[in-house]
Amino acid sequence: MKDTPSVIETLMTEQRPSERPVRFLRLRTMVRVGTRMVFHDHLKFAGTVFGVIFAVILANQQLGVFLGLLSKNTMFIDNAGADLWILPASTQTLQAGKPVPLSALYTARTTPGVAWAEPLLFGGATVSLPGGGSEPLTIIGTAAPHWRGGPWNLVAGSVDVLRQPETMIFEDSERDKLGGLNIGSVREVNGHRTVVGGFTWGLLPFAPSYTFAEYDNARALLGTPSDQTNFVLVGVAAGASVDSVVRALQVEVPTNQVLSSTAFRQRVLDYMLTQTGIGTTTGVSTIMGLLIGLIIVSLSMFSAVVDNIREFGTLKAIGCRNRDLALVLLLQSSIYGLLGSIIGLRLVTLMADAMRSPKMALVLPWQTFAATPLVMIFLCGLASLLALFRIRKIEPGMVFR
Amino acid sequence: MRERAEKLSAVDVHGMTKVYGSGAVAFQALKEVDFRAETGEFVMLSGPSGSGKTTLLSILGCVLRPTSGQVLLFGQDVAGAREDELPALRLRLIGFVFQGFNLIASLSASENIALVLQLRGWNPREARREAAKLLADVGMPEKADSLPRDLSGGQRQRVAIARAIAGHPPLILADEPTANLDGHTGLQVTAMLKELARAHRSTVVVVTHDNRIFHLADRLVHIEDGRIGKESA
Repeated sequence: MKDTPSVIETLMTEQRPSERPVRFLRLRTMVRVGTRMVFHDHLKFAGTVFGVIFAVILANQQLGVFLGLLSKNTMFIDNAGADLWILPASTQTLQAGKPVPLSALYTARTTPGVAWAEPLLFGGATVSLPGGGSEPLTIIGTAAPHWRGGPWNLVAGSVDVLRQPETMIFEDSERDKLGGLNIGSVREVNGHRTVVGGFTWGLLPFAPSYTFAEYDNARALLGTPSDQTNFVLVGVAAGASVDSVVRALQVEVPTNQVLSSTAFRQRVLDYMLTQTGIGTTTGVSTIMGLLIGLIIVSLSMFSAVVDNIREFGTLKAIGCRNRDLALVLLLQSSIYGLLGSIIGLRLVTLMADAMRSPKMALVLPWQTFAATPLVMIFLCGLASLLALFRIRKIEPGMVFR
Repeated sequence: MRERAEKLSAVDVHGMTKVYGSGAVAFQALKEVDFRAETGEFVMLSGPSGSGKTTLLSILGCVLRPTSGQVLLFGQDVAGAREDELPALRLRLIGFVFQGFNLIASLSASENIALVLQLRGWNPREARREAAKLLADVGMPEKADSLPRDLSGGQRQRVAIARAIAGHPPLILADEPTANLDGHTGLQVTAMLKELARAHRSTVVVVTHDNRIFHLADRLVHIEDGRIGKESA
C-alpha cells in the first residue's frame, strides 16, 4: 500500500468506537476464542489433558523415586547433627573404609572454634536369624551421653537403653525380615550376643538398615582397635565459621579429610549420580515420561488444528494474523499444561502417600510442585509448534473451496 | 470520507490474470479480466463450475493474489499490497459470507458476530450490543446464545450474514450463499443480505449459480472459461 492517506485507509479506521488500544482488545478476543475452542470439544480436551497428566505422573514418580534414593543416602549426614566431619582421605561416601586414628578426635576437641567432637563407628555386620541364615546390618556406634549421630526417629524404647550391655536399637520395618524382632529379643550379631532395646522408623538407606549400639559395644562388634574410629563428628562453636574451622582442622589432621556437612552431603550425591547407575536409570525414565507427554500433547494439538482447519482458515480470512493464531495455540497449550500439571501433581501426591514406607518413598520437594507446571507449559508450548507450522501454511483462500 | 469513497468504484479490476501452477501443468483460471462494481451495488457473478468465479472472488477478498493485472478496491491497488497488510485489509474492508457458513463452532451466534467487531477494536460490551442488534435485523434475536450446531442451515447463514455486515464493511463478498439452503430460504437470506447491505451503502459481490436469486441482482455478470462474458441488469 502507498504512504498517502487514502479512502481505503480512512475506511479502515473509521469503524472503531472503542478508545482502548486495538492490540489489547485483539489479545483479549483471541484469548477468549482460544479458551472456548479448548473446552468445546470435551473428548479432545480430556484426551490432551490426560496426556499431560500421564507425563506429569510418570516424570514426577521417577523423579520422586530418584530423590528418595538420594535422600536415603544422605539422611545420616542430614540427621547426624554435625557441622563438619573428619573422614578417611579416600572416602567418597558414607561407608566403612580405612579408619581414622582416634588422635584426630582429641585434636579436634582442642582446635579453636570447635564446640564438641565425638567419634562415630560405622561398619557392616551380619545378624544370625533364628531359623538359620543371616541378614546384613549397618552398625553405627555413637557415644554417650550426647549420642551424636543417632539414633533418631525412635518408635520404641529410648536412646539410653544403649547404655545397657549388649543392647542395640534396630529398624522397625526390618523386624519381620530379622526373624520377628521384639523388645528383648536376642540375636547374634557378628558372633556376639545382642538384645533388642528399641526400634527406629525409616532409617533404611539404599543399603542394610542402620542399627545403633553404644560406642564401645559397637567397637567390640566391629572389631575396631581402640585407637581407631571411622568418623569424627564435630560441632562448631557459636560465632565460629564452619569454613574457617574446616581449614584449621585440615591443617591439624592432614592425613584425613575434613569436610563440612554440606560438602560431604554434596560429595555423596555426586558419587551417587556419577559412580552408580541410579542417576542414569531414573534420569532416563524421567526424560522418557516428559517426552511421552510432549508427543501426546503435540499430536493432540496438531490433530485439533487439523480437525478445526476450516475454523482457523475462517479466522485468517476474516482478518486474524498468524501471530493471533499463534497466541491461540500458546494459550491452549498453557491451559493443557497447567491443568494437566495440577491434576497430575495431585495424583502423584496421593500415590506418594499410598506407597510411602521406610523401604520406598517418593520425595517430592516444593520445587517439584513449582517447576512441574512451568516445565509442562514450556513442553506444551513446544508441542504446539507442530500445530503452528500447520497453521502458518493455511491459506485463507481455502474457505472458498 | 464515505462520500469520497462513494465517488470511486468499490471494485475495479483491469486486465487481471490468474494462473495456477507453472510449466506444463499451468492452468489459467482467469484471463485478462476486467470487472467493476460501484459503491452500493449488488452484483452477482454466475457461471459454470470451474469458470473462475470463486477465483475472482478470492482475489477481490485479498485471500489470493493475481498473477498479473490491477485490482483496485476503493481506488487503491491491493494486488501489490504486502502480505502482512492483507489481514488488516480483509478485517476492515471486507465482510465474508461463505457457502459452508464457516461459523466458529465453539462460539455462540452472538459471539460469532461480535468476534469481527472486537478484532476491529470494538470493546466487548459495544460489540455484544451491536451483535444483538444485528441478530434482531436478521430475525433471530432469541438465538443469541445458541451454538451453531443448534441452528438450522438457514439460521446459520443468517448469522453468517450478520457477521459479514457487522461494522458495516464497505465491501461484502458472498460465495454461493444459497448452496446449502432450500430454495425458499436461499431467496430469503439473499434478499436479507441485499437489504442490509443497501442500508449501509455496502457493495456486495455474490458468486452463485442459483438462478432463483438472479432477479435480486442489480447487475448479473456471466463468467465462463476465465473470461467475463455478457452482463445483464
